[in-house]
Amino acid sequence: MNIGVTVSETARFAASVPYSVIAFPFMLREDAMTRLTRRDFLRTSGTGVGLGLLAGCAPKVSDFSQKTGRRVVVIGGGWGGATAAKYVRLADPSIEVVLLEPNKEFVSCPFSNLVLSGVRTIESITFDYDRLRDRGVKVLHEPATAIEPGARRVRVGNDSLPYDRLIVSPGVEFQWEQVEGLAAAQDRVLHAWKAGPQTVELAKQLQSISDGGVFVLTIPPAAYRCPPGPYERTCQVAWYLKNKKPKSKLIVLDANPNLVSKAALFRAAWANYPNIEYRASNKVVKVDPGAREVTTELGDKVKYEVLNLIPPQRAGTIAVAADLVGADKRWCEVDHLTYESTKHKNIHVIGDSTIGLPVPKSGNVANAMGKICAVAVASLLNDKPVPPMAPGNTCYSWVSDREAIAVVNSYKIDGGKVVQIEQKLTPGQSEMWAQNAVGWANSIWQDMLG
Amino acid sequence: MPFIMSLLLVIAVAGTAAAGPLDGPGAPQALVCSACHGFGGQSQSNTMPILAGIAPWYFKKAIQDYAAGKRQSPEMEPYAKQVLQFGVDDVAAYFAAQPRTATPVKPEPAAVERGRAAAVQCTVCHGVSGKGDPSRGVPDLTGQPPGYLRNQMLLFKADRRSPADDQLKALKALMRTIPDEQLADLAAYWSSVR
Repeated sequence: MNIGVTVSETARFAASVPYSVIAFPFMLREDAMTRLTRRDFLRTSGTGVGLGLLAGCAPKVSDFSQKTGRRVVVIGGGWGGATAAKYVRLADPSIEVVLLEPNKEFVSCPFSNLVLSGVRTIESITFDYDRLRDRGVKVLHEPATAIEPGARRVRVGNDSLPYDRLIVSPGVEFQWEQVEGLAAAQDRVLHAWKAGPQTVELAKQLQSISDGGVFVLTIPPAAYRCPPGPYERTCQVAWYLKNKKPKSKLIVLDANPNLVSKAALFRAAWANYPNIEYRASNKVVKVDPGAREVTTELGDKVKYEVLNLIPPQRAGTIAVAADLVGADKRWCEVDHLTYESTKHKNIHVIGDSTIGLPVPKSGNVANAMGKICAVAVASLLNDKPVPPMAPGNTCYSWVSDREAIAVVNSYKIDGGKVVQIEQKLTPGQSEMWAQNAVGWANSIWQDMLG
Repeated sequence: MPFIMSLLLVIAVAGTAAAGPLDGPGAPQALVCSACHGFGGQSQSNTMPILAGIAPWYFKKAIQDYAAGKRQSPEMEPYAKQVLQFGVDDVAAYFAAQPRTATPVKPEPAAVERGRAAAVQCTVCHGVSGKGDPSRGVPDLTGQPPGYLRNQMLLFKADRRSPADDQLKALKALMRTIPDEQLADLAAYWSSVR
C-alpha cells in the first residue's frame, strides 16, 4: 500500500520511538501526537522575545525615512516574504532589508487544520520573528498603506520608506462581496483561512456543536489559497465528529465540479468517514447568519449549526491598490525568473498573489519563490546575471490524526518560463508520510524564520 | 616565507570575500532542497537526511536512483529529476563543500547504548567508525538523523529500496535478521557517533 513501510511497522516503531530531547528551537518531536506548549517554545527561543519588547528598542518606521545604502523593502512576513527577507540578507549582507508585517507572530496555515481537530495546539504552529532580526532584517510590525512605484517608496501612514527594490508578498484577500450577507457578518461567519484567532474560534465552535448538529463547510471556486486545504479540513472535521459527536454530519458545499487536488486520495480517505456529505458544483452565494442558513447558486438552502465559509479570494489588498494585478483585477503576473511585476519595474511579487506559473498557491511554493526572488534581487542590485532557478512544491495533507497523503511537483525553466517536470502523488495514506509531513514542517519553518 | 604566507592568505580571503553563501555553481539550484533538507543541506529534521558534507558520489547515485525509481519515493522522485535538469554535479559539489554538523535530534541515551552493543554487525562494511568506504560504495552513517537511518533500514528490510540491486543483497539479508526495535536502536547509535 505504500513505498515500503507498512502501517503496522511504523505504528510499532512509534511505540518505541527512542527520541526524547530536541535541542533545536524550531524542532517539534516528530511523532504526530506530541505537542509543544507556548511556554516551552518561548523558553527555547531564548531571550530575544523579552528584549525585543523593551520600550525604546524597537525600530520605528520613521527611522527608515532616509536611505543610505542599498535597500530592499519586503511587504508581508508570511511564507514568501519572511523567506525573501532572510535570503536577501544571506545573498548579500550589505543590502539593508526592511520587512513590514503587521502581526507580531507568524501562525502557520499548513498544519492549522490539525488545530481544528485538537491534534495540534495553535501554540505549536506559532513563531516569532526574532531570528530574522538576528540576521539583520529590520522587522516593523506595521501595515504598508500604499506603494509609489515612480518614487520607489512604500507609504506607512504618514511615513514613507524609500527602496531600491520592493518585494510584495501580501497573500490573499477575501472577496466578501461575492457572497450576499457575508460582508456584514464577517465577525460571525468564520473563514479560518488565515491561521490565527479564527482557527482557535472555529475549533471552539466545532467542539461545542451538539451531537447531531450539522457542520457546513463551503469551498470557493479555484483559484484560492491551498488547493487541497479544504479537503484536508473536511478530513479533520469529519475525524473529530466521528470520534466526539457521532450523530453529527459534515456537509461540504464545493463550488468546483470535483475536488481540486488529490481527489482520488481524499475520496479514499473519506471512505472512513460516512458522516461526510460532499456536494460538488454547489457554489454558495448567500449567507443568513440569523437563520443559520446558506443558499447555493442552484437555490438550495442548507441549514447549519456551525458554518465555516471559505470566501472567494484575490491578491492581497496592497497589490490591488498598487495596480499590480492584471486584467482580472485578482492576481499579479510576474516574470518567471525574477518575479518582477509585469506592471511595475523594481517591484517583485511572490506567493499566493501571483498567477501565470503552473504552480499551486501553497506555502512551499511561496517559500521557493521567496528564495528565488531574493537571489534575483541581490543579483540585479549587484549587476550580476540572475541564475535560472525553478520552484518546487511538497504538499502533505492529514487525512486523520495520524495518517497523511502528499503531492509533489518539480519544475524547470524552459524558454524563460516555469514548466512542470513532474507531479507525483503518494500511492495511499500512511503514518510514514505523516512523519515526513512533520519533518517537512519543522524544516520549512526553520527555512523561513530560523 | 611568512610574508608569502600572509600574501596567499590575503589573496585567498579576497578571493572568497566576494562570494556569498548563495554564489557559485550549484548554490542557487540547491536552494529548492533547503525547504526539507535545511540551508546548506544541514537538515534540522528527524526524517530528512543531512546533505551537508555528503560524498558527491553518494549524492549523485541517490539522485539518479530516485529519478529512475530504484529508490521509490513520491517526494524525492520529482525533485531528483529537477536536480538532474539543473546539473547534478554542481549540486553535489555544492553540498559536499558545506560544513557538516551532526543532527540536532538527540536519541535517548539508553537506545544509543543498546545500539552500540549491537552495532558490530554494521561495522563489517561501514567500518568501526561508521564512516563507510567510498571505494566499495558504502556510505557514512554518522550524525544522520535517527529517523532517517531507521526508515532506510526498514526499507532495506522490506526490499523496497533498490529491489534489484545485487550489491545490496547481503545488507538486506542482514536487515531481515534484525528486529525492528533493534533497527531503531542501531539508528540511535549511529546517529550519535561523531
